[in-house]
Amino acid sequence: MGTISLRGVSKVYGGARAVTALDHVDFEVAEGEFVALLGPSGCGKSTLLNLVAGFEGLSEGTLSFDNAPVTRPGPDRGVVFQEASLLPWLNVWENVVFGPKVQKLDRSDYEPRAREILKIVGLEAFHEALPVQLSGGMRQRVGIARALVMQPRALLMDEPFGALDAQTRLSMQALLLEVWQKLKTTVLFVTHDIDEAILLADRICVMTARPGRITRTIPITLPRPRSIDDLTSAEFNRFKALIMAEMRGGHH
Amino acid sequence: MAGPDTRKTTGSAAKPSLMEFAGERLGRGLLAIALPLAVLVLWQLSGKNGAVAGGALPTPDRVWNAWLVWAFGKPGPMTLSPYVGTWADAIYFSAMRVAKGFGLAVLVGVPLGIIIGWSRLAASMVDPTIQWLRPVPITAWLPISIAIFGISDFGAVFLITIGAFYPIVINTTQGARDVDKNWIRAALMMGASQWDILRRVVLPAALPSIFTGLRIGLGIGWTAVIVSEMVAVKSGLGYVLWDAYYVGRMDIVIADMVSIGLFGFLSDWAIVRLERWVLKWRRLQNFNQ
Repeated sequence: MGTISLRGVSKVYGGARAVTALDHVDFEVAEGEFVALLGPSGCGKSTLLNLVAGFEGLSEGTLSFDNAPVTRPGPDRGVVFQEASLLPWLNVWENVVFGPKVQKLDRSDYEPRAREILKIVGLEAFHEALPVQLSGGMRQRVGIARALVMQPRALLMDEPFGALDAQTRLSMQALLLEVWQKLKTTVLFVTHDIDEAILLADRICVMTARPGRITRTIPITLPRPRSIDDLTSAEFNRFKALIMAEMRGGHH
Repeated sequence: MAGPDTRKTTGSAAKPSLMEFAGERLGRGLLAIALPLAVLVLWQLSGKNGAVAGGALPTPDRVWNAWLVWAFGKPGPMTLSPYVGTWADAIYFSAMRVAKGFGLAVLVGVPLGIIIGWSRLAASMVDPTIQWLRPVPITAWLPISIAIFGISDFGAVFLITIGAFYPIVINTTQGARDVDKNWIRAALMMGASQWDILRRVVLPAALPSIFTGLRIGLGIGWTAVIVSEMVAVKSGLGYVLWDAYYVGRMDIVIADMVSIGLFGFLSDWAIVRLERWVLKWRRLQNFNQ
């Protein structure tokens, strides 16, 4: 079994008109693998991530992480939210060390690591800044640093660059590639951006809505290390054509 | 004509000079005192021999003189009037009661509000009771307060606590309910315990609402202290107010009212300063939006 493993997982939101967000999904992410969940909004990709994170409970099926059932959120799964969701009253440094601090880890253990990670994401000069004083891209760098400092077994990223402008998104993708190629953490990455999914992932799971299902899995065999220059290669465009056809429902 | 124009442009592009800043502050200060000044002048002019409305009220100069004696007079061995040099005492008694009652209301109201806002169980257990008791005005608590505490300091403190408690608990509850879901999720993901979440996420997130409750609560606290001193205690601004009325000293009554307004205003100002300092992050946020 992989690091993340879903077997026949369904998620139904109750109420007068019940909505099936996920319908009997089987899904695995192996150790060290970078998997992108790609699909239109409302296809249940964020729901799937929230289940893995332990933010919501499943309606049916089994969901395990590192061979243990997921019951609650925890620092072994670092989540990066779409809007960064930093605590606005804490400065950059306090946001990044929040996790180790509430886990009562030893300062001497996490402080050098936090400094190192803030340097990697290019924020060594912004320890004292409040989130509101940062740009969207910088806030998301803090969001990534805050997850990485916990040395999680997996990173769960929920459209982390979706709210950024095109230019900033490219530089964030480049940063993530660089960091991931160094750390090789397991990543589950939710996006609706085809280019982003191809550029980053080892494997893309295409999802469709109503009910939310994974319709196809496409391995991305572009060689590593990758860079944003790959976005214009012929090989890249072959994958892009394939996925666009899949998302339009033009296969078979 | 080009000269002054250029000067003006460079002036506004650079930091405003100290003179401009002082001038602006002075201008606003003048605007603020124009209305009370006009009232004072009218009041003074409508009086004859130091009395207005057929002798029912004194003119401002009489009030001012009475206050000078009340505040700075030195009581001699033959002084019978209680309004000689006792102003500071009256202020002190009232302010201490407000401080105690308000402090108690904060100590109870803020934690309770956080818990009601956070836990559905606590909300369904406590919230209905609070909502039933809330319409009972503080004046209606006076008989119970006197019955339990007698004519004592704690009767006043009790009344102030009750008055300040409701706005504090209700605003804190609101603030704790409106916490961004993703802040809580982020904290849980980072390994925070329930206690960490309450203390490090819900409380700071609720602070803007809490301060709203504090300001309203403190205002009610001043009302409560005057009411209880008029009836249930034998010292403080409220006691002086009623006592002076009985002996026909309307000059002291008015000086007393102005004092209440002044100290109510000062304590509110102190809370606003505290709020600005504590909620620096929020001020920056509002400027950027």
